[in-house]
Amino acid sequence: MITVTPRVQPDSQPIIDLNNLSPDQVALNINKLNLYYAEKQALQDITMSIPKGQVTAFIGPSGCGKSTLLRCINRMNDLVDHCRIEGEINLHGENIYNKNVDVAQLRRKVGMVFQRPNPFPKTIYENVVYGLRIMGENNRRVLDVAAEKALRSAALWNEVKDRLNESALGLSGGQQQRLVIARAIAIQPEVLLLDEPTSALDPISTLVIEELINDLKKKFTVVIVTHNMQQAARVSDQTAFMYMGELIEYSDTNTLFTTPVKKKTEDYITGRYG
Amino acid sequence: MDNVNVGRHISGQFNEDLERVINHVMQMGGLVSKQVSDALQAVSETDEALAKHVLSQDYHINNFEVSIDDECTRIIAKRQPAAGDLRLIMAIVKTITDLERIGDEAEKIANVALESFSSKQKDLLLNLDNLGRLVLDVLQKTLDAFTRMDFDAAIKTHGADAKIDREYEALMRQLMTYMMEDPRSIPQIMSVIWSARALERIGDRCQNICEYIIYFVKGKVVRHTTAEDMKKL
Repeated sequence: MITVTPRVQPDSQPIIDLNNLSPDQVALNINKLNLYYAEKQALQDITMSIPKGQVTAFIGPSGCGKSTLLRCINRMNDLVDHCRIEGEINLHGENIYNKNVDVAQLRRKVGMVFQRPNPFPKTIYENVVYGLRIMGENNRRVLDVAAEKALRSAALWNEVKDRLNESALGLSGGQQQRLVIARAIAIQPEVLLLDEPTSALDPISTLVIEELINDLKKKFTVVIVTHNMQQAARVSDQTAFMYMGELIEYSDTNTLFTTPVKKKTEDYITGRYG
Repeated sequence: MDNVNVGRHISGQFNEDLERVINHVMQMGGLVSKQVSDALQAVSETDEALAKHVLSQDYHINNFEVSIDDECTRIIAKRQPAAGDLRLIMAIVKTITDLERIGDEAEKIANVALESFSSKQKDLLLNLDNLGRLVLDVLQKTLDAFTRMDFDAAIKTHGADAKIDREYEALMRQLMTYMMEDPRSIPQIMSVIWSARALERIGDRCQNICEYIIYFVKGKVVRHTTAEDMKKL
């Protein structure tokens, strides 16, 4: 008799070991990050590696520090008074909190999209090429190509190609959010941070954005904060569960949503919090 | 279900849904085990009325299977269970399939009681008693382990199937000897063999249910693994 223990067939994409990433697999390396808002500690000793070309989701209850952590990745917290940060976040082996890092340069590499779509009160076209113009690109042909490419990547091209010179404020919420994503990716960042990108959208627009996220990860590393656990389960490859400023559990999404190791994670994702 | 911990969901409705479906599984389990014990009693006492009663009750089990399946589908659609809740639903969906099949085996055994046996051959049926008692015990322990989602009990009960298999082998050898001694009795002995086979299958299905319990508690799939692998959990 042949006894072979059956194994679950792996997904098409290879499983990566989050604790043992090779340097070329890592997009971001967060090391012992502590953050204080005045006296209150909002992040406690966060250490994690975010892999390249994948979608990593941060989930957790309100106030657990997930947005704070996301905002740290492109130094959005610099603008907050009394905010003190210890530890490091390494992008290409360089700590983004080094004194000589140019924040504008950093944000070129690390784009961000917020909860509410925030298009500029300009035309659709000008919104998309805004970043390139700031970088000094004024060649109309280059801008046209970049705008089309970004809008296509953001799955918006077919809807707006005939009205590029109309105001961006005339678009629907879902379209505006995709426009903002197009604006963020037009300058070819390496990492795209999404802070609850669909929480102001209807379910269908949400699905369109989720589909878009899946396409985006082929070119960019995506980090997403979401309140919607099912969304994290649907779009992400890795999920990090945070609670009270601590990283409780970080593993691949399939494992985290079927067999979480920590009791707190289990309680949260099964809706037993309170 | 101490280990199941269905309560404490923020959504009270979700708690109720899960509790209801678990209660239905337990009711179904109770009915199935009653069917098996009635069928065995009908055979050993050649009680035709009881055998007919068993046959008439099977549709209740089928009803349970269909409605629990439906409840689980609704829970998945409406609540998107995750982690332990998801594993519980998966374990339930699989368990009720096995319970329904155990019900069918009870039906097969009851049918044997309705066949006419000559007085001499009736003794043959008594041979089923030992195996029957053993299987019924394993079935009840399985249902008990399921009720408490008891990992240790599930492992222990899973191992008890080997005993059933040994008893089944011994019975087969005995029945084969009878067949060789008196070929005219072969049709009746075949009926006994079918019943023995049905009992042995019940043991296997109990083993499956234990595997689902282990899956629920540990999140590990232990189907088609060896006993040693299972002990490592």
